[in-house]
Amino acid sequence: MSTPPSSDLILLVRNVIDADALINHVRTAGDGAIVTFDGCVRNQSHGRRTLYLDYEAYESMALAKMREIAAEVHAKFPIDRVAVAHRLGRLEIGETSVFIAVSAPHRAAAFDACRFAIDTLKRSVPIWKKEYFEDGAVWADGELPPVPQDTQSRKRAS
Amino acid sequence: MLADHRAAGYNSSVSSITPSIQVKVLFFGRLKEVVGGAEELVDITPGSSIEDLFATFVARQPELARYRRSLVASRNQEFAAWSTPLQPGDEIAFLPPVSGG
Repeated sequence: MSTPPSSDLILLVRNVIDADALINHVRTAGDGAIVTFDGCVRNQSHGRRTLYLDYEAYESMALAKMREIAAEVHAKFPIDRVAVAHRLGRLEIGETSVFIAVSAPHRAAAFDACRFAIDTLKRSVPIWKKEYFEDGAVWADGELPPVPQDTQSRKRAS
Repeated sequence: MLADHRAAGYNSSVSSITPSIQVKVLFFGRLKEVVGGAEELVDITPGSSIEDLFATFVARQPELARYRRSLVASRNQEFAAWSTPLQPGDEIAFLPPVSGG
């Protein structure tokens, strides 16, 4: 049985992500597994040396989408708790930009849920990163989130 | 034009002024840099869609047209089709491809 998402922890932060706090948040006596994902800043992008990254978000929508992902994870997998934190602002090489922890009675569900959570986050949460190089900066190539189809029937007469 | 929204909102009865509704528009990522701002209040004709709203920005800044196909739109923090009609007080955002994580 799934714990209601109210026991989940969903955060946007502007300082160092406290991974231990997230792990401890999902740890309960009924769990036999905690799987974590630590997304960190790489030192290069397409062969160019990265100096640092700067993340920005549509914060209210990003939090709403992260909560939706947690709810979806509960609906799809027999897991216990989910904790997700994404950091915004300037991040140096090696620092954690996103951290996810999922607890479950058994490991398979925790692995699957954690993988699903990070894959979905990267595709559908409105967060953007700008990559700074020695010779300039670019907004990272991203993914277009799935959007409801345009249909004429949704158009109201005015 | 923004100063006149008192006369145009949904509380107004019949007015001699062309009616309009006001929406909040947000820009993010590279689009924010192209537009030169993150947030703007816009008065627009009732019945306009998100597509119509974007067109008003293209009219002002033609180079925005080339971003249209690589954007998605949201209405009140939910992804929305471009044909979605605007309502007074909506918060509309134009979102480049996302790259979090």
